[in-house]
Amino acid sequence: MELYVAALGFGLISVSVIAIAAVGFTMQFGITNMINLAYGEVMIVCAYVAFYVNRAGVNVWAAMIAAALAGAVLSFLLNRFLYAPFQRKGTNLIGMVIISLAASLILANILLPIVGYDTSSYQVDQGPLLRWNGLVLTTAQIAIIVVAVLLMLAIHGLLRYTRLGKAMRATAANPILARNCGIPTQRVIDMVWLLTGALCGVAGVVAGMNSENFAVASGAAYLITIIAAAVLGGAGQPYGAMIGALIIGIVTELSAAAIAPEYKEVVAFTILVLVMVLRPQGLLAKRGALAAAG
Amino acid sequence: MNKTQPSVRHHLNRPGLICSVALVLLAACGGTSSTGGGLGSGPLLVGVLAPFSGADASFGPRYLAGCYAAALSINGAGGIGGRQVSCQSFDTKGEPADAVPAANSMIAGNSNLMGVVGCTSDEASTVVPILDRSHIPMTCMTGQSEFNKTSFKYFHRLVPPDSFDAYAMIGSALFGPGHAPYTNVALVFGDDIGSQTFVGPAVAALTKLGVKIAINQAIKLGASSYRTEVAKLLLTKPDVILTETIGSAGTYMSEVKQQNGGHVIPFIGTSATIDPVWFKQVSTAIGLTDFLANYQAVDLKLTLSGSGYDEFKTQLTAADAKFSGSNALTYQGKSPTVHLYDGIIMTALAMVAAKSADPTVYNPKIFDIANGVAGATVVSTFKDGVTALNAGQSIRYVGAAGENNFNQWNNSQQGYNLVTMDKSGNEVVLGSLSESQTQQIIDAGGSA
Repeated sequence: MELYVAALGFGLISVSVIAIAAVGFTMQFGITNMINLAYGEVMIVCAYVAFYVNRAGVNVWAAMIAAALAGAVLSFLLNRFLYAPFQRKGTNLIGMVIISLAASLILANILLPIVGYDTSSYQVDQGPLLRWNGLVLTTAQIAIIVVAVLLMLAIHGLLRYTRLGKAMRATAANPILARNCGIPTQRVIDMVWLLTGALCGVAGVVAGMNSENFAVASGAAYLITIIAAAVLGGAGQPYGAMIGALIIGIVTELSAAAIAPEYKEVVAFTILVLVMVLRPQGLLAKRGALAAAG
Repeated sequence: MNKTQPSVRHHLNRPGLICSVALVLLAACGGTSSTGGGLGSGPLLVGVLAPFSGADASFGPRYLAGCYAAALSINGAGGIGGRQVSCQSFDTKGEPADAVPAANSMIAGNSNLMGVVGCTSDEASTVVPILDRSHIPMTCMTGQSEFNKTSFKYFHRLVPPDSFDAYAMIGSALFGPGHAPYTNVALVFGDDIGSQTFVGPAVAALTKLGVKIAINQAIKLGASSYRTEVAKLLLTKPDVILTETIGSAGTYMSEVKQQNGGHVIPFIGTSATIDPVWFKQVSTAIGLTDFLANYQAVDLKLTLSGSGYDEFKTQLTAADAKFSGSNALTYQGKSPTVHLYDGIIMTALAMVAAKSADPTVYNPKIFDIANGVAGATVVSTFKDGVTALNAGQSIRYVGAAGENNFNQWNNSQQGYNLVTMDKSGNEVVLGSLSESQTQQIIDAGGSA
């Protein structure tokens, strides 16, 4: 029993990391209709930005802000100078996916000669340990959970209660109609890339902290789980991505406790497939903040 | 058929004929010759077919370092019949599916390929047949037992199979210095092909020797955390962890320390863990003091002295300038770097001895160069080897790693040292397994 309590607690950290990343990823898709496979590599670029800031003697939590800024700028530039021109030319969704895959490879191969093959890790004061029934968490891990909760609340507040959030929802529902109604959709889309890029940056740092170390290759590994959470919750749905992260994070840890560790992803992805069979649109499709009414 | 003949004649008019002859002459002058008798002309290439990205990305650079050093040694002595040797990396990403196109494009794009090094356990099963079919001599770092008695004639291995690494780790746990024999052993290996090769032999030997296996975990390499796996491991109270979790050991061991009240459980790594990247990752994750106090590993017995090793070290130092990323010199005592260096030098000497750039002719000579024939002159460098061969002598190459002894399946090995690392990540030999100790474990686990 102790093991399952611990697994549940450990799952919360995984949930936090996945949720921050998956919400940014799914918002990019929901509002800009872009499945951005370079998301994992942008996370890693930001993780390295924070790494160098941290290595210069800055606290990792402050370095996280630098990573968020880097993520915002990099994502904005990626869209403005790579994705948007192709979208304007009418490139279809599959074509855009391939372009984002190319962007991912380009980013990884630019990064590799700069940071090398080695893994890197942050200088983090883990703080005192919290122990409860086999569950052992550091203060830093609890802080990651708190950061995730705060960011999720902020996203909720943004989408529900701000003009920008409402404009985002309108753009996601029908960009042409939104533009005809006077919503500056291009500016909204720019803001989406900046905000989701910042989330991506924060996600890169918390993922690096969670793993203790990271390398250029980590981006691809992160991306699989992020996409799974986003699809499970309903592509384009931020609340769905939160629920998807919750299910995947908890199920993987519980299955590692109950079965064997090598099957933990098998169990999580089996659930994903089952959900897709029973509800192809995902758990929260047409119910989330970004979906069209109805 | 008849209808095409006038057309052919039409194309072979006078200007066309002149152009054709000119092209043939140009090809003869500027191209590379690699078949038939003679050493031919033009540059030669050694392909480093290995992971340069992915979870095992640290493997490729250490192989490339060995290749650079070998190329400098060969070129400094005038090349192979005047032909200069260079090295090129071909990234398999550590995945069989990526390794096949990498191998195919390497072969298709390089007719001057004299040999290949690398081919780790990650991709050997898929690339060795391809290389063998193409008659390309290879020196592989795979530890898979399927190559213990292989029919691939172009395959060479200067390291023992991974099963023997597993036996050496058990030897370290039972007979190693600085600790009482461990009695409750945890096995924590990656779920990839390469890592899992160790598990079967280790389980067999431990079971037969009556040593309790606390837990046998196959963990997903590259996962973001292993907290639940570690919680499960700690419930079994192991007194030692045998491991090869390349790329993920830092994460795993730091979680062991965190959940075990700040105490690290002693851990014994395979020879692949004696690596600067692995050292940095794990020592950073758990702290240098804990790393030094708890880490041991097994490594192949290397001589690391003598004129062969001196030449290797000199050339590795010279190669350092062209080595981006990690410092090439950090690999100077590393088995893969030294062994693959020797593999390339032996291939080059085999070409000189056979006086041929045709691999079907020089490949069998690699065996003779390694093992020597009766009355062979012992040489330790490419230069000395060429001098002796030119003087009409037969040679035996005793290189940077010491003697090589190929069996009938082109497998060569030299036994094991028990090692650790110092605070700078340099390997420190603690002792070695005696023949009887090694035999006891091999008998328990099986040698197939």
